[in-house]
Amino acid sequence: MIFWEIAKRNIRLHFLRSTLAMLGIVIGVVAIASMGILGNSMVASVSESLNSVGDSVIVSPYSGSGGGMGPGGGGGPSGSTQDQYISDSNYQKIKQAVAPNIAIPVHQTSQRMSVGVNSDDIVATIYGVDPQYIKDFNMVLTAGDYSNGNSGCLVGSEFATDNDIRVGSRISIGNDGEYGTLRVTGIIEERGMSFDISTDNALVVTQDWYESNFGKIDQYDQVVVKVKEGQDTAKVKTVIENQLNRRDKIVTVTDSKATLSSIYETFGTITTFVTAIGGISMIVAGVSIFNIMMMSVNERIKEIGIMRSIGTQKKEVMSMFIYEAAIIGVCGSLIGGILSLFAGYAVSALMLGTTEYLWTLSTALSVAEGVGFGIIICLACGVYPAWQAANLNPIDALRHE
Amino acid sequence: MRERVIQFEDVVKIYPLKSGDVTALNHISFSVERGEFISIMGPSGSGKSTLLTLMGCLDKPTSGDIFIGGRPTRDMTDIELTSLRRDRIGFIFQYFNLFPLLNIIENVCFPRMIKTGQGVDPERAKKVLQAVRLDESLYTHTPLELSGGQQQRVAVARSLINDPDILLCDEPTGNLDSKTGASIMELMTDLNREGATIIVVTHDPNVAKYTNRTIRIVDGCIAS
Repeated sequence: MIFWEIAKRNIRLHFLRSTLAMLGIVIGVVAIASMGILGNSMVASVSESLNSVGDSVIVSPYSGSGGGMGPGGGGGPSGSTQDQYISDSNYQKIKQAVAPNIAIPVHQTSQRMSVGVNSDDIVATIYGVDPQYIKDFNMVLTAGDYSNGNSGCLVGSEFATDNDIRVGSRISIGNDGEYGTLRVTGIIEERGMSFDISTDNALVVTQDWYESNFGKIDQYDQVVVKVKEGQDTAKVKTVIENQLNRRDKIVTVTDSKATLSSIYETFGTITTFVTAIGGISMIVAGVSIFNIMMMSVNERIKEIGIMRSIGTQKKEVMSMFIYEAAIIGVCGSLIGGILSLFAGYAVSALMLGTTEYLWTLSTALSVAEGVGFGIIICLACGVYPAWQAANLNPIDALRHE
Repeated sequence: MRERVIQFEDVVKIYPLKSGDVTALNHISFSVERGEFISIMGPSGSGKSTLLTLMGCLDKPTSGDIFIGGRPTRDMTDIELTSLRRDRIGFIFQYFNLFPLLNIIENVCFPRMIKTGQGVDPERAKKVLQAVRLDESLYTHTPLELSGGQQQRVAVARSLINDPDILLCDEPTGNLDSKTGASIMELMTDLNREGATIIVVTHDPNVAKYTNRTIRIVDGCIAS
């Protein structure tokens, strides 16, 4: 087709100008696609950390009013909810309300402790869990076994690595071991962020040991409801709220699924926002394309007049300029698409510290989105100049000098 | 009587300007028969160029009727007028107006390509280029590598590629030296002898000498 050929030759004739316009599109595509890749990698990274949580509903004492929901537990260890807890009677209500789902009472506190004889004091979280429920938290042990005896404990992988702890190591709890000594029976594999219990930098002890040493008998810091497959977490949450918060709000119920989707939504918004910032460079590139297309039309007014006078239809003149914009758009966008993979790699490596989420479908979609947007912007910016060229008065165009 | 390829009936062309309307053509009527070789002469501003644009279907009259090949152009759409120009009219301009991005063969084939939607037809291009007596070694050159006379021969070849009914020439020798101009007019004469209908707009009486009939325009009216 002759108009395609003319468009190609015109780009070749104004190579530098066309290349600069193309460069704008390349930058725009790279900005959009690499931001998209970063956003998707962030979501993938967070998803991987949170997915292991499974479907759970967390019930914790309501802290909004400042009061406790049961008798105070003064004199105990410094827990995060020292004066607020879930009583055993309320736990039983929850247990009955959510059946057949499993309701697990959990004690939690932060304590000073020391490993070995001459080590410095460290602070870590201690969870007290009835051994019968330990396996419901889907904890995988990298070494050792679940605690059998009352003075055994499991430790998180990060805690173990940081403090050179192995199976059999002994940990003294409290100042000068005031709460006794625990023997490490197993090391829990890294679980990442969690809604229920975050074990990576913590100890998990038996409920009996916790209660006998910290004295908080039948006073739980949270209840974790493990929702069985096929059951709706939102419904479980409603059941608990109806059971306990009917008169006064005494517990806060968190649905892990709803929280997850809220987190994803937030990440989605962040991704859209950063991609939109990348989009600004694409708009600037579009203005550049528009500018060079207008220049191209203005330089070729006489040529357009000749074409029209010897029988070229308006749509053919228009197509010639659209082809020109399309060549710049397609070439620029494809180059940008390829470069955005490198940029996405670099940005992911720098900001997330990993590139393991790069080669995914969402990356391909981000690149396709950037390339598609680049082409659309180019075509859109070529339409008006092309339309203007096609609608020039042939007589005026012929007389143009 | 021979077929009328162009017929003007009481044609008026008025250009509305802010400073007042300008009547470029004032009730013009004439016809051109197939095979005629006509020159249109007149002083600057007499309406020659307006007449040429109306004959070439580049513009429409304010009133009156124009028939090209017997078809009235008054109610034709832009697409129909453009197709008429492409299929039935060949244009030759003073400044040659070749496309600098295309080589000679492509320039000549351009009207053919937009008519058929196909690619370059080198055989047909060579045939018309031989008819305008252009050296074959120049066929792959670009227009800027040719002399003025050679470029005008290419322009004539381009105007002939679709076998038009009419050749409209706007000062075809105006940008050439007298010798080259004479050779172009001899080429036109040969084409006319072979049956082409040619209308030449010119200031130059030497060009008019080659034609069979001269229409003189003065102040938008046919003087003779």
